[in-house]
Amino acid sequence: MIESAVMKQDTATDSPLIEARGLRKHFVTKRPLFGQPTIVRAVDGVDLAVRRGETFSIVGESGCGKSTLARLLIRLLDPSEGSVIYDGKDIAALPEGEMRRLRRDLQFVFQDPFSSLNPRMTIGGLVEEPMRAHGIHDPKQRREEVAKLLRRVGLRPEYADRYPHEFSGGQRQRIGIARALATGPKLLIGDEPVSALDVSVQAQVINLLEDLKEEFGLTLIVIAHDLAVVRHMSDRVGVMYLGEMVEVGEAENFFAAPLHPYSRALLAAIPAPDPARRNATRQATLTGDIPSPTAPPSGCRFHTRCPYADARCKEERPVLRPAGAGRAVACHHFETLEPAEGLPLPPTRSPRVEQRFALYRARRAGETPPRGPSPEENSPGPSVAQPAAEN
Amino acid sequence: MSDNAPLLAVEDLSIMIGRQAENLVDGVSFSVMPGETLCIVGESGCGKSVTALALMGLLQTPPVHITSGSVRFDGHDLLGLSVDDWSDLRGDRMAMIFQEPMTALNPAFTIGDQIAESVMRHRRIGAEAARARALEMLERVGIPAARTRLDAYPHQLSGGMRQRAMIAMALANDPTLLIADEPTTALDVTIQAQVLQLIRDLQRESGTALILITHDLGVVAEVADKVAVMYAGRIVETAPVEALFNDPQHPYTIGLIGSLPGLEAGQRGSRLATIPGLVPAPESMPAGCRFADRCPFATATCAEAPPLREIASGHAVACHYAPLEEHCAPEQAA
Repeated sequence: MIESAVMKQDTATDSPLIEARGLRKHFVTKRPLFGQPTIVRAVDGVDLAVRRGETFSIVGESGCGKSTLARLLIRLLDPSEGSVIYDGKDIAALPEGEMRRLRRDLQFVFQDPFSSLNPRMTIGGLVEEPMRAHGIHDPKQRREEVAKLLRRVGLRPEYADRYPHEFSGGQRQRIGIARALATGPKLLIGDEPVSALDVSVQAQVINLLEDLKEEFGLTLIVIAHDLAVVRHMSDRVGVMYLGEMVEVGEAENFFAAPLHPYSRALLAAIPAPDPARRNATRQATLTGDIPSPTAPPSGCRFHTRCPYADARCKEERPVLRPAGAGRAVACHHFETLEPAEGLPLPPTRSPRVEQRFALYRARRAGETPPRGPSPEENSPGPSVAQPAAEN
Repeated sequence: MSDNAPLLAVEDLSIMIGRQAENLVDGVSFSVMPGETLCIVGESGCGKSVTALALMGLLQTPPVHITSGSVRFDGHDLLGLSVDDWSDLRGDRMAMIFQEPMTALNPAFTIGDQIAESVMRHRRIGAEAARARALEMLERVGIPAARTRLDAYPHQLSGGMRQRAMIAMALANDPTLLIADEPTTALDVTIQAQVLQLIRDLQRESGTALILITHDLGVVAEVADKVAVMYAGRIVETAPVEALFNDPQHPYTIGLIGSLPGLEAGQRGSRLATIPGLVPAPESMPAGCRFADRCPFATATCAEAPPLREIASGHAVACHYAPLEEHCAPEQAA
């Protein structure tokens, strides 16, 4: 999948598509008449380079600044400091008009499919709107394009005249994806694109995103807190804690052996869907809460919860430094820590389970095309449900 | 408590909303032994939360009403209880933890007052002793600086702390049954791990039975003794937790496990096995097997609802074709 995307653009694989340099965003939450204003350091000095055609995931717990970072990258927010380089241009300094033109290339899929679609517009109108805004095609071509996009994301073109409330969460997320694709973007940023969905629907949307990425040669930045989803989708992963990037690396290496103590704790905290491993995964639970980003701890921001912290960590802020194999870690001590246990590999299944999975997949493949979501994967939503069996 | 009598036995419970043609919860039966952990898993709208509310006598009647079935708790029939009897039972011998602690706690009272209130409601003790009990509970659930937190309001605590406070409140009267509806869904993963660990430790100490409602199979694998999988208002499979993961029988269970990223054998680049389509809407429930229109194995036979039948000790499945390899062997080699 990565190979094919790289091949399409083999001329410029080395230069990153989008890059953040020393990016900061500080929000003033309270400005009293006297005294110091309260400042939230949502993103506090992040450097990041996303390569063409890759899927880069940003993970971290709530309040770590990952959503703010995503919005800074496509300038839905203006940074307090630092720059964002897209395709060689600093977009943080770009005038409005030029930025608007550039937005064709940079699109966003939001977390909540219920609040991110205008309830008064039909879904055809919603998908057409970005094309209209950018003056792409004439009205007739646009209608054709809308039909094509809806079909591509697994919805029937006949639904174009319906309103968002007539669709389920998963279908709305597909509409959001069709809308993001309408301008022919190069970079798609998904802010928790599947976390509001049920597992079975989540899997459908993940599959769709992966197909579209390959088909349209997209670069994908995914913001997520669900590490299982991240492991499934990503080429590279960046871990954020309290506004800082604490570890960046290839997903495979990262999940096999996380280096930063916070990454280790994060992986250890995932409940393994394997009852046999119940007690083995439970040693490294983090204690304490995430400190408030209005008053981040001194030195290493993780030192208040870190089992390895010493005096140096309380005072000196570690910088992101190379850790081999393209990885980087912001920790004074990562070299000397004992090797971490990564995310356990999927359990080996008994032959009987394998047999049943194979049977299930074979049956599914037999009735629907193996590639791409078939229309019947998304036949009508609750308001138009038809219980007729597929055949 | 005798050895073999279940603490809670639900028989053929059906729940209906308004005047809809089909039951929202349809003929659900399960039991929980003293000290045991039962997980009820399913996706949104499968009826798991409604079932939990019914067990606690918290259904809003009307429009929701129980149309059939019985719920026996420690030998007593719960469905016939009067409002006063329910109030005596709830928070005392049965307690519940909700998903969103911010909405379940009263924002106008301090944490200490709220815990003390439930102790005083059920125990004949004074305000002082109740407050001491509240402090003891906050310490037991691992809230740091518990003495000062007694006087904190819910909004002054973080999400994880609020959930701990709610657990403290639920356990204050040493209930024999605790029902937890998605207790960790609103929490970050490191906090979730802390709370799950806490629930497990407390349960081991106190011998409380637990019904945990969740959509997360990872959580199920962590805490369950026994699992009931619900789909569209019915239990489609019940099994001991190892059997559910090692020997899943119902096509829905298989699809659900296959939908989990990072679980299927292949990883990066492999496609997730999905379940096509959507959960049927409550107003248009299929008459037969409710999973049939999404099931790759469905045939005309499935127009008739399959009964839950036992295929191994403690392992029951509601599918005409289980075990699949015997009834649905592939005609051609893959």
